[in-house]
Amino acid sequence: MIDKGAAEMSWAPPWLRPRAVELKGSGDLRLVETTALLLVAVVLAVATVNDVARQSAVNHRLVADLRTWRHYTRHDYHNISIDQETLGAGSQREVLCANTSPGPPKGRTQVCLAIWGAVVKGMRTVHGGWYLPAHAEDLPAHRYGCFGPAGQGRCPR
Amino acid sequence: MSVAAHSERGLPGVRAERWMPALAGALALVLVAATVEVVLDGAAGPSPLIPKSPHIASWLTTPFGGGAGLGERLGYRVFLIALLACTCAYTGLVALAQRGSGARAAEHRQRVPALSKRSAIALVAALQLIVFAGPILLSTDVFSYIAYARMGVEHGINPYLHGPVAIVGDPVFKYVGQDWIHVATAYGPLYTLLSYPLAPLGVVGALWAMKLEALLASAGTLALIWRCARARGFDPVKAIVIVGANPLYVLYGVGGAHNDLVMMLAMMVAVSLTLAPAAHRPRSGSRSGSGSARREGAAAAWVIAGALTKATVAVLLPFMLLSRRRLAPLLGALAALAVGALIGYAAFGIHGIDVISALNRDAALVSTDSFANEIAHLFGKPGVFPVDHDLLKAALVLIVLHLLWRTWRGYDWVAASGWALLAISVTSTWLLAWYILWPLPLAVITRDRRLLVATLAVQALFIIHQTSPLFAPVQ
Repeated sequence: MIDKGAAEMSWAPPWLRPRAVELKGSGDLRLVETTALLLVAVVLAVATVNDVARQSAVNHRLVADLRTWRHYTRHDYHNISIDQETLGAGSQREVLCANTSPGPPKGRTQVCLAIWGAVVKGMRTVHGGWYLPAHAEDLPAHRYGCFGPAGQGRCPR
Repeated sequence: MSVAAHSERGLPGVRAERWMPALAGALALVLVAATVEVVLDGAAGPSPLIPKSPHIASWLTTPFGGGAGLGERLGYRVFLIALLACTCAYTGLVALAQRGSGARAAEHRQRVPALSKRSAIALVAALQLIVFAGPILLSTDVFSYIAYARMGVEHGINPYLHGPVAIVGDPVFKYVGQDWIHVATAYGPLYTLLSYPLAPLGVVGALWAMKLEALLASAGTLALIWRCARARGFDPVKAIVIVGANPLYVLYGVGGAHNDLVMMLAMMVAVSLTLAPAAHRPRSGSRSGSGSARREGAAAAWVIAGALTKATVAVLLPFMLLSRRRLAPLLGALAALAVGALIGYAAFGIHGIDVISALNRDAALVSTDSFANEIAHLFGKPGVFPVDHDLLKAALVLIVLHLLWRTWRGYDWVAASGWALLAISVTSTWLLAWYILWPLPLAVITRDRRLLVATLAVQALFIIHQTSPLFAPVQ
């Protein structure tokens, strides 16, 4: 059907004029579209639920890492930075750094611990680490006092 | 009420109907209470969810001056529980509004709508005003808007060439998100120029002005949704409840004072102009026909104005042109584009009108909430790779081509535009809560119900994706 409102388009051939309703024969098309939409919805829903579960597992691991850092250093600090890249993204190996004495975030000498392994009794294993001066980021040039297997070769000579 | 109507529905049906307004009232109360909780806790100070900000809402926590505050700093747990409560209440209200819309359609049977016109407007207004009175929620974007305005007005620096780091000594700088301090503005020249008069108001003044701008844009959008719904024969009460009480719209959109609301207002002005009231529809190629041509020209110009605020809305234009098949909208768009480009060029030089590079820059970003990132994780990949960006762009092009073909065959151009906006947000690797609001105003005024279901489903998945801190909170 042609749009009655577009009277000034009467000079144009019918196929070029605006349409008030969609051309017939779109029933199957609608079925195909709806099926495709449902498939996309299923994929998105599965991906979302999978990501929530994955993120919850990551959070569970990070909670264990924070508890491990506090237990190892005997400091109940809250401003602990967690780095998931230094020991390999996706490796489930984290580096946690925080002050060695009370003070503002990164305001004191910091100790960094390399932590990985299975969560046992709410904690994971410390495999070594290094120290950083106050106000320094965790870059190879700033590290000193490396210890344990994870610290080997990570301090500048 | 007639006896026939009673007997038709039966006594249990009538009893259930009497409970509907009470149930709607209870759900509205949950929605308001959860929003108040978020705003009060947000007003208590910055947290991982509340950006560092001037203390514009501290009066909310100590309304009687001094003493202990009313709220605690907003944490993930409280926020997510409030968000889920809002979502559940909203779902219930939408279902009741759906019943109410049936009731209004069958007025001869004198069924009582669960949500009256007055109570729907009051609820939507209350939600917007509660959030307006509070702090900036969940985003630092508004401080970037202010920083760009202050760069141009106070410091004479072109915001299309430099990031806010160029005004490191300015009082707004410390509030700009760390990820954005080196980033030049990606917004259109019209929006940047509109924000310039706010710069001399100072950071606090500009912040309130931005909040007011978002509130007014939201109110305008809702008013136009009402008008469009009526013009298209839909229940306007249901339409404004679906948009105006939407938790993502209220908490993220209005709460963050995002300029997406300004873009959506321009979009709805454009749509509204193409939906002439029945009394004004032309009968033949007469004077009223030229009136409709003028309206359609103006509508296309408004799409361009929206795109000069935020480029995304430009996607409406091809669907509008293909549907109308007249010269007027094309001329309106070209005229608006010429004027906008001229002003943009005069104010900011060539970078002010180089929308493509700004879009390309944003398209390369990846957010943890994007569906692309979630699907990458589903297939065991650590994240989105460059090839995935290309695949997503190809998928988007195919979807838009399909929608254009359908519009050519007579499919509703408003629905096609809504699908295109939804496709942009779903295929984007940089997905934020306020991006999945774009198709919502169009979804409530189209006959293709699948668009509304799909938009709300995508929003629901987004909310579900936020909930992981509830299962394993990191402290």
